[in-house]
Amino acid sequence: MRNSFKVAKWELKRNIKNKSFIISLFLTPILFIVFATVPTLLENSDEQESVHVYIKDELNSWSEMEKVLAALEVEWDVNMTTEPEAELLERLQEQENTAYIALTEAALEEGKIQVYLSENVEDTFTYQLNGLEEPLRQLQLQKLGLSTEEIEVLTKGVIFEEVPLTEAEETAMGDPEGITAGAEEQLKRIVPGATAGIILFSVVITGMMIFQSASQEKKEKVAEIVLSSLTPEELMNGKIIGYFGLGMVQVFVWMLFAIPIITWFFEFPLFSYLVVPELLLLLFISFAGYLLFAAIFVGLGATVEDMNATSNFQAMVMMLPFLPAIIIGPVLSNPSGLIAQIGSYFPLTSPAILLFRLSVLEEWPWVEIIISLVLLVSSIWLFMKLAGKIFKTGILMYGKNATPQEIWKWIRQ
Amino acid sequence: MSGEIVLSVNQLGKSFKEKKIIENISFDVNKGEIMAILGPNGAGKSTTIRNIMGIMYPDEGSVTFHHYKAGTIPRHKIGYLPEERGLYKSVSIMDILLYFAELKDYPVAKAKQRALAYLAKFGLEGKEKTSIEELSKGMGQKVQFIAAIIHEPELLILDEPFSGLDPVSQEVFKQEIKDLANKGTAILLSSHQMNLVEELCDRLYMIHQGSKVLSGTLAEVKKDYANFKCSIHGDNETALLEKIPDVQRIEQNGKQSILYLSVEVDIPQWLKQWPDGIQVEELSIDRTTLHEIFIEIATGKRTKEGVRHA
Repeated sequence: MRNSFKVAKWELKRNIKNKSFIISLFLTPILFIVFATVPTLLENSDEQESVHVYIKDELNSWSEMEKVLAALEVEWDVNMTTEPEAELLERLQEQENTAYIALTEAALEEGKIQVYLSENVEDTFTYQLNGLEEPLRQLQLQKLGLSTEEIEVLTKGVIFEEVPLTEAEETAMGDPEGITAGAEEQLKRIVPGATAGIILFSVVITGMMIFQSASQEKKEKVAEIVLSSLTPEELMNGKIIGYFGLGMVQVFVWMLFAIPIITWFFEFPLFSYLVVPELLLLLFISFAGYLLFAAIFVGLGATVEDMNATSNFQAMVMMLPFLPAIIIGPVLSNPSGLIAQIGSYFPLTSPAILLFRLSVLEEWPWVEIIISLVLLVSSIWLFMKLAGKIFKTGILMYGKNATPQEIWKWIRQ
Repeated sequence: MSGEIVLSVNQLGKSFKEKKIIENISFDVNKGEIMAILGPNGAGKSTTIRNIMGIMYPDEGSVTFHHYKAGTIPRHKIGYLPEERGLYKSVSIMDILLYFAELKDYPVAKAKQRALAYLAKFGLEGKEKTSIEELSKGMGQKVQFIAAIIHEPELLILDEPFSGLDPVSQEVFKQEIKDLANKGTAILLSSHQMNLVEELCDRLYMIHQGSKVLSGTLAEVKKDYANFKCSIHGDNETALLEKIPDVQRIEQNGKQSILYLSVEVDIPQWLKQWPDGIQVEELSIDRTTLHEIFIEIATGKRTKEGVRHA
């Protein structure tokens, strides 16, 4: 094991010093931030100038409506007018991005406010107009002589709200914050689940670099000199540990970017949702997922010398970590359904599907979790054994890529 | 020779599928001795070395390092330069040397000191931060050689150490190998360059098609296998040359004839026994060289049965 840690340290040091790794390490979160913010910025930069709006306010209510629009962050260039309608409409035809709203007694009684639009008025203007609906309705009700309380009751309307049984019990037992507590519980699953998911993603991506590392060791013909100091198993395990460390470094750097943004910018109490006992199981699943794929990649890497001449077989194996994407749709719509259960039992999809399900399910299906973990851990053991056999022979085979038949022969040896 | 056995190879055998690659390979390497393992391509030299290094596992026989049996051999006491050479391309020379020293449990500070000293000795002074991809092939080989000896091994195994080296670098390597042996390192090397083997090695072990064909000290081998050969320049029929006694084999190329003589031949007496009519424009009599013995074995002109062992 000491030798494995020496290899792990070397792989970690070698990659951390590698310029392309450093660039990708910092570029990934920066790209993420860019992709998250640039579309919004571009959207804002594309915004046309404020709509010029002529208001004919026979109701003397514009000042109230203006407050409502301000609360909705709607910015119009408003001009109050008393001009005759025909003249205004004539002017409207000559202008662009201009609207005319006639707030008249007749229109209010009829419940239909006429809005005239010139050319090139954005569609968003129509949505912004909806903001005036509530103050106008209040005005209608005032005209009917209703009291302020009556108006409030009427404008509040009636809504239907689904309440889960557990929360209903809590509420019935006198928990006045039942609904808030439910949402908090949900966050205590989602936040650790998402964190474990990010860790799984990161370590599996760096795990894919093991493939390259093993293949490079063959190509650069350095394996034999290394193997004169340690066993193939120690070399293989060292690579697996080293690239795990590299993945964790990546996660750490990403966290350095993400935590301040989430905690201070979005004012979200990340740590109170993250540091929960469930996190341990979720982390175990993501680490197990890494070990499974790392075993596959290290074994496969030892069969490939020329990356450009990899067969379809090897390329297909590289796609295995993305297998859960195929079933994520049905799992999303029914996290307790049959496909979700099968996905949890099948080792290659198990880590990602389990993490997703445990993040969304209120009650954890412990029997399913235990069966899944037993299958996952057994698969890791089996894949490690197979990878060891392939690695031992493959890493010393120079000159060509191994065929599936040769790999099968090494496994049977 | 001190006589202290460092490496002992006993009845080593290895097969791939049904084919025997090496069979009954047995030899010792003593402290401070340079031992050569020779043979044509595919003879089984690298397989023998890989089995000694524990990179392959022998089907038969045993390898002992001092009193350690296979599986318990302290690898950090052995240095190895494989035939298939390579180093991590994008890493600096010093980083690589320190990594290999660390794998051999050698103290980092001492390794750094030795690395700098050897780089200077091999003309690579000031290049410790240079990456391998920036070096020429010969320079890369020097770094590999340093990597093999950085940890002061008790046994040094060099598989074709001179291949691809220019004559100047060959001299540097040769001198370093001699120095290491003088300091007590047991050295096992394989090589095709017989002139270098003759200059360097104390003993040799030649294998062909996986089995031993000859072994012994250089003097023993020369005495037992380096028969006389007589080169004649003249217009002579083969039939006439065959009448000369004690001739084992004749090679003819135009007017040039080489007669390979039997071991026991007494040259002055033998010359007196020549038949009449042999035309001699030029004549020379020499011992066959190690190179010629090697060629004869490699081309099957001298078989295992036709060779007496020292």
